[in-house]
Parts: sequence; structure tokens; C-alpha cells
Amino acid sequence: MSVPAPTTALADRPHLSVGGRRIPVILPTRRDPRLHLAIVLLTVQVLGQTVLDFKLSVAQILVSIATAAAIELAVTLRRDGVVLWPASAMLTGNSVALLLRATGTEHGDWWSLNGIGYFIAAVVLGMASKYLIRPAGRHVFNPSNVGLVWVLLVVGPAGVFPQYLWWGPLGLPVGAALVVIVAGAVWILRRVRMAAMAAAFTATFAVSIGVFAAAGRSFWAIWHPVPVAGAFYWVNVVLSPEVLIFVFFMMSDPATAPRTPRGRLAFGVLTALLAAALVYPQSTEFGVKLAILSSLTVTCALAALIDRAAGRAEHARPGVPVSADPRAVLGRIASTVRRPAVVAAMIIAVAAPLDTLSLADDEHLILIERGLSGDPNPQ
Amino acid sequence: MGADDGRVRARLRKVATVAGLVALAASAAYGGDVLGIRSRLQGTAPPDARAPAVARVGGGSPSTTPTATRVRSAPWWQELGTFEGAGPADHRVVIDDGALQWRVRGSCRSGDMAVTFPHEEDPLIEATCSDETVGYATRTGTAQLTIEADGPWSLVVEQQIDVPLVEPPLPAMHEPQTVAASTGTFYDVDQTGRGQVTIYRLADGSSALRLEEFFVTPNVDLEIRLSPLAAPKTTQDYLAADAALVAVLDATAGSMNFPVPPEIDPAAYRSVVIWCPPITSAYAAASLAPPAG
Repeated sequence: MSVPAPTTALADRPHLSVGGRRIPVILPTRRDPRLHLAIVLLTVQVLGQTVLDFKLSVAQILVSIATAAAIELAVTLRRDGVVLWPASAMLTGNSVALLLRATGTEHGDWWSLNGIGYFIAAVVLGMASKYLIRPAGRHVFNPSNVGLVWVLLVVGPAGVFPQYLWWGPLGLPVGAALVVIVAGAVWILRRVRMAAMAAAFTATFAVSIGVFAAAGRSFWAIWHPVPVAGAFYWVNVVLSPEVLIFVFFMMSDPATAPRTPRGRLAFGVLTALLAAALVYPQSTEFGVKLAILSSLTVTCALAALIDRAAGRAEHARPGVPVSADPRAVLGRIASTVRRPAVVAAMIIAVAAPLDTLSLADDEHLILIERGLSGDPNPQ
Repeated sequence: MGADDGRVRARLRKVATVAGLVALAASAAYGGDVLGIRSRLQGTAPPDARAPAVARVGGGSPSTTPTATRVRSAPWWQELGTFEGAGPADHRVVIDDGALQWRVRGSCRSGDMAVTFPHEEDPLIEATCSDETVGYATRTGTAQLTIEADGPWSLVVEQQIDVPLVEPPLPAMHEPQTVAASTGTFYDVDQTGRGQVTIYRLADGSSALRLEEFFVTPNVDLEIRLSPLAAPKTTQDYLAADAALVAVLDATAGSMNFPVPPEIDPAAYRSVVIWCPPITSAYAAASLAPPAG
């Protein structure tokens, strides 16, 4: 067997020469949707720093992005022997910075490293899940989602909180952010074939939260002196920029969503139902936000099963039974659940919603959100 | 050699995998605050629910009741009783279990005075009569005070508590001629402010201010001030106009009444500000407006 000589095209590809060794450099193309998403998220970050009063520093954003990028560069260089432009990792870092807040960070303190360990921890956890939890050769969880969920749950409201659902009163700054987010969604979702999934999530979630609002559910938010209830509850939960970013730019990650069209529809509906079920008992904005994030942790873990079920449904024929030896199926399941990556995925997928539910009656969190904790700077 | 290396590497990998899974499971339990471990380690366990105090004077014994709250005020002194006499005497006081500490402020006119308390070796007060003398103690429950004095004396016993103070409205606020002149809802300035304020013009022509379901980030030395500004949003805003001191705020949570000093005309002011002089900071404010309806 002979190895073909490098073509001229290959030889011309970008590379780095280190100690006489030629290391290929892989750069994204201009059509890469990850670049488009990066443009959208960076635009939102610029708005956050300039007109939306995000309690987030430029340093926190840069450190999050740099940490994720460094991990991905190191892993791909060691594993694949290439220098890969870490487009996905930089999105992970940017998403973590966009949604995570360290208690005590003031808007405008651009170079603050307050709580930087929490940002790094969220990024490292997310990237670790990406490279270590790969039961079927591909990662299970959306890295920024699982990193955020874990840090928010483990550190808790004493040190971190999720970005507020609404980013301020509905005016020009928030309107501009909404325009950027929706335009970004239109730009990106069709290209990654996730528009139907996003629509399925939004419709199901909107109806569920509408029922809760009509049933009198409410939550406390530190920025509001009375409980958020009624139509305000619905608007805050369903139409908030935070939830739009979640559904348009986090759920829609093709790497962690089902691959079949029917599977993606089911994924949208199931995530919405699970998010609604976890939102229902929550009495704080922190809990509501975490409920929505945790729902994706669960459905990402189920994505392969959703795909399989959707595929079976697509190929099922009336009158033709789907046969399988039960003992063989059980054997396959038993051998699967013994694999460490599967165990890790199961721990995360089970613990995330259960831990989130425990926030519903967290008295300290309720005091914080009601503004009655007495802490000088509770969020 | 290569095979040994491979075995060692595989073993290390197995150990790291198990350690990783154990760490993941442990963090999951920690994140769920199983057995209250996270709350205890982080010191974020909420305070016990306790009933608020119902008066500044006379105790009331905060205890666990259906109206109990986990909200806490800055520590404030509640008067338990004033005692007067001449010569030796005994008095019994009941210090609430939740009291942070208690004190006896004593004064006498001639000779010496000593106040002892069976559970303390040293007297609470042992002084020659001159200025007021203060003694502190922390043991709660019933306290039998023994007073030794050569002449007339007086004692004030106070306990320091941190439950909210929930006073009923003043009877004068319910009189037919009384008018709720203005009201407002607190908002955050430099710190957190919650609740409502109402200024009453009482039947006798004086004014009184009532805080309702009020909370401000606890601190000592806070003041209630009236500002001519409609809605000060920052400390700088507040400092732009002269404000009038209504009262010092001791309890920082609950519902409370404060007489407005007679030299202040509340009609000349448009907002209430919770002001902290030592750090020059406006904590919270409420814009005043005539009550709806």
C-alpha cells in the first residue's frame, strides 16, 4: 500500500513550523455558522457593556474565552496534531460569560476579575464534559450549558447568579438586543436546520408558561419589589432575551441535538415540557433560569435516544413488528451503563433537574431575590 | 517494560476515572444541598424563623409562631423595663432566648450602687454614683437582679435583638380628622430598600411617618430623612438638596411609626431617603405622592 504524495493544494495549506515539524493550521471558513454566532454574541456583549448595564467585566469575558480556547487548542494539538482555530470553544467561553454573573461585580468595572474562578470553573467543566464524556464518540452535553448549570448549582446564590431574564425596561437598548438576537436567529437557525426545533420549543414553552401564569404562578426577582406574576410572568419567562439566547443559540447546537428532523422537533417539545415542569415550582428568578438551563442538560443526554425513537417511528410500517431479543437488549443496556462516560452522563442528567428542584424552597435564595437577605450586595 | 508501562497507565487511568466519577457525584450532592452541607459550609443557612417584636418597649417575647419570619433587622435595643427605688431591691426580668445581649443602664444620686446577677461572678454594675453606668450580659432567660444602693436609683434594662419590629399604627392615625398626606414605595439607591412609607397629618396638627413592611440593608446609624427632590436615584442626587432629619432608624425591618419633628413641614418635601451619614450613602428612597383614591 502506498501513501500518496502531498498534493500542491495540501502543501499550500496554512501550517506552523515548530522545530522542523510541520503542524497544519485549520481555520474556519467565512460560511462557518459558528463565526456568525460569534458575531451575534459579541454584538450582544458590546450592547451589554455599553447600554445594557451588564454586571460583567470585559476581563471576565476575555478570560472565559481565552480559557476555553486554550483548552481546545491544547487538546486538538495533542490528539490530532493540528492547530485548530477554537471556534466552538470560544463560543463556549463567550456563552458562559454572557449568562453567568459573579455576585458583587459592578457594571462599568471593566477590568474586574471578581469571581473569575467561577467563570474559569464553568468553562473548564464544560470543556471537560466535551472531551471526557463521549459515550458514542461524540460529546453529549452542550459545554456552556453543563458548565453553567454545574457552577450555578454547586457555588449557589452566595457566589454566582444567572444573568437576569430581562435586561432592563423595554426601551431602545433592550429593543436593540432583541433585534440582534432575532436577526441572528434568522441568519443562523435555517443554516443549521434548527428553525423547526426552535419553533417547537417556543410554542410548547409559551403555552405551558401561559397556563402557569393563568394559574397564578409567580416568582421573586431582586429587581422587582413585588412578585413577577400574570402577563408579566409570561412575558418575562417566554420572551426574555435570556430565553431567546438559550433556544436560538444554545439548544440549537447541532453537535448535541438529535440529527433527524423528527428527532429535533421532539427535542424542542421535550425540552420545553421539561423546562416548564422545572419552572413550575420555582419561586425565584434564579430558580426559573436554572430550570430552563437544566432542562437542556437532560434532553441533551437523551438526544441519541430521541433520534433512535424518531428514526424508528420514521421507518416503522403498519403491521410490521419491530423485533428485538429482550435478553440481548438488556445485555446491551447493562454493558452500556457500566461505561464511565455513560455513568458520568447519567449523574449529570439526573442531578441537574433534582438539584434545580431543590432550589424551589431554598429560603436563603428566596430572601436574596426578595431583597431581604441583608447582604450589602446580594447579586 | 513497555507492557508494564501500559499496565501502570491503564491503572492510573482507571483510578482517575473512578476519582472523577466520585467527585462528580459528590458535587451533585453538594449542589443539591443534601443534608444542608452546602448551606453550612458556605454559611448561607437562613436564620431560624422568629416572630417579630411588637413594640419598642415592654419586651414581648419573640418566639416561633405562625407569623414568624426569617427576615432580620440590624440589631436594635428593646427596652424591657425601667425600675426605680431607694436602697436594696430585687427585680426579675426575662431576656428573650434570641437576644444577642442585654444591658442594664443604672444611675443613682448618692453613695454607691451595685447590680448583681446570680449567673455572673462580677457585678453588672458596681459604681460610685455619678454619671449613668452600663453593664452588659449575654445569658438569656429569667434574670434576678439584686440592687444594692445607698440612696435613690433607677435602672433601665434593654435587650438587643435582630428580629423585625412590627408596631401597629398609632391610634392617632385612625382618628377621623387624620389625613394620609402622602405615600410612597421604597426603591434601591446604594443598597436595597423595600416597603411603603406614609406621612400622616394628625388631628392635633402634628405629623407622623409610618413605614410599612419596610426593609433596608441593615446597618447602624441609619437615618430617615425628607428630601425636596422628587426621586433621588444616587447619593449625588440626594446631596444636591438640603434634607431634613426625621428620626434615627434603629430597627431596619418591620413596620414602625415615627413622629415628625414639629419644625419640619412634610408638605415641603417630595421624597423619603434612608441615609447613612458615616459612609455618606443614600441607601434607599421613596418618592412621595398623594395616596390614590
